[in-house]
Amino acid sequence: MPLLEIENLTVQYHTLHGAVQAVRGVTLSIERGRALGLVGESGCGKTTLARALINVLARNAAITGGAVRFDGVDLLQLSGGALNDYRWRRIGLVPQAAMDSLDPVYRVGDQLVETMRLRGGLTPAQARERAARLFALVGLEPTRLRLYPHELSGGMKQRVVIAMALALQPKLVIADEPVTALDVIVQHQVLRTMRELQETLSLSLLLITHDISVVADLCDDVAVMYAGRIVETGSVREVFAAPQHPYTMGLRNAFPSLRASSARLVPIEGYPPDLASPPNGCAFAPRCPFAVQRCWGDDPVLMPTGGGRLAACHRAMEADVLRIQAPQAFARLEATGSQAVEGGAPGGGIP
Amino acid sequence: MPTRFSFLASRLSQTVLVLWVVATLLFLIFRLMPGNPLVAYIDPNFTAEVQQALLRQFGLDQPLHVQYAVFLSNLVRGEFGRSFFSREPVSQVMWQVLPNTLVLTLSALLLAYAVGVVGGALLAARRGTWAEAWGIPAVLATRAAPEFWVGMLALAVFSFTLNWFPSSGATSPGSAYSTWWAQVASWDFLRHLTLPALTLALYLQGLPTLLMRSTMLEVMDEDFITFCRMRGLPERTILLRHAARNALLPVVTAFALGIGYSIGGNVIIETVFSWPGLGRTLVRAVAAKDYPVAQAAFFLIAVVMIVMNFVADLLYSLLDPRVSHERQ
Repeated sequence: MPLLEIENLTVQYHTLHGAVQAVRGVTLSIERGRALGLVGESGCGKTTLARALINVLARNAAITGGAVRFDGVDLLQLSGGALNDYRWRRIGLVPQAAMDSLDPVYRVGDQLVETMRLRGGLTPAQARERAARLFALVGLEPTRLRLYPHELSGGMKQRVVIAMALALQPKLVIADEPVTALDVIVQHQVLRTMRELQETLSLSLLLITHDISVVADLCDDVAVMYAGRIVETGSVREVFAAPQHPYTMGLRNAFPSLRASSARLVPIEGYPPDLASPPNGCAFAPRCPFAVQRCWGDDPVLMPTGGGRLAACHRAMEADVLRIQAPQAFARLEATGSQAVEGGAPGGGIP
Repeated sequence: MPTRFSFLASRLSQTVLVLWVVATLLFLIFRLMPGNPLVAYIDPNFTAEVQQALLRQFGLDQPLHVQYAVFLSNLVRGEFGRSFFSREPVSQVMWQVLPNTLVLTLSALLLAYAVGVVGGALLAARRGTWAEAWGIPAVLATRAAPEFWVGMLALAVFSFTLNWFPSSGATSPGSAYSTWWAQVASWDFLRHLTLPALTLALYLQGLPTLLMRSTMLEVMDEDFITFCRMRGLPERTILLRHAARNALLPVVTAFALGIGYSIGGNVIIETVFSWPGLGRTLVRAVAAKDYPVAQAAFFLIAVVMIVMNFVADLLYSLLDPRVSHERQ
């Protein structure tokens, strides 16, 4: 049994313009001791998904359906108090805004100690001792426990927040864009620390990022998210070597490759759909160079494609061919700004 | 810490400078006002010699710069001259009324800010409920109600009708106490203090309540509060230890400045309740053209205000570690 199973989870934001479906039926699982990378562009629902897992959402957001099973227990069925017991003791979270996640008026060590005393039931002396060990673990000198957040650099604050996430020895750590705000050298250091911790503490890790190179560096498995849905999952090696969803192919073209940097970067033309009124068909169809008639009316579901991989694309079976055409197809789309239609899609035409 | 010390020294010297400016302005204002300061005091039937003698007695026959020098040197020694009327030294008059004003203002302010901080935090925590729907209009109404009107209502109900509290003064006529502290601690004094202090507190609580509420709402949206929720900290801890503690910062500033403002602004309450304080003395001195007393009263109000500004700065640096005085 996987450690965490997300099943058909939906989350809505209530806005002045009606309900916005930020997460539209996500199904995903995280295996014990493995690191899963969740990639997707800004606004695709990654952060909302992460916060929904422990139900700490913005005031105007609500989970409208689905299940989140942790060790077989559906967290969404739990009462407030019982769910609170899972927060931090079993699921730790490194939030997106780690820079602003520490209370400015308390010393960082005191905040760490507070968490361990109130949630872990440690005595002050135990908590202090453990705080020093946690700091050493994330690569901070224990003397820094006495500093206030504003006296730390961004990378140090990030490490403090990671230490916080590990304070109660959770089985799962969710890290939401943990290095986005850091400069490249510090990014690398923090990521390496996270990878080491994940391996030595045999944690399960859900790493959320828009940077596929971070996933390639750090994760065992990857899930690609688009417009509130998971469109492809599998092991990092397989998915990045042979993507089966056109969006993943496009993402790969849009990022500088770690090894071969000769290929030209091709952005994915267009914008994600407005999730206040999600499309009937595949959400990626308007930006997809391979969209066929069926894609516009029939929303593909995530289906096994063999070898433990899943993809939500009607043409997943032709993926090997499409992958070869992808660089040119996306480039053509970029050049013309409209789709080279196969089978005639409504709304798109050849100029 | 030398840096801390130099900050204090520089702030203190600024404070002294401001006080000097205030003193100079006060000196000039009273000299520039039309009419001889002694007009009210000197009987026109006095002979010219007597009038001259009186002017000399008060030092008003000296050239302006000499008067100014005398004024400043007296000020430094805490001497404000003698009242034109009672002939008492002004400093003695001030010592009689200033403590009363301080007791009234501080007790009202402490009450107002204690209620305001707790009330504001609760209003923020109960956002969107009936508590907010009724609470905010109630706070605004008490803030908007004129002090003299509330004071008169309080007197009419609790003093004249119900006879629970005395209607005027700080002590009952004929009562005597060995020390000032004994007087303040006496039951009689507290009974006299209750109505004016409550009326003033009712008026003052609007600012801290609404300020606390709005800062609290702002803080509740901060990422570190969300992070507290993610960590599963108890709601009470989040509200009190984290949200309220951060929201308190501007309220503390308002409190220290509030002391300064209300010492001067107590004129109305002190007059309505015949409270023998600085405000009432000031009004009387101005009305009677008792310039030495008025001068001293204005100066004391300015001193309290400036000192409280200084205290506010110090408090802020104690409460907020980000405010460091060690840079400049």
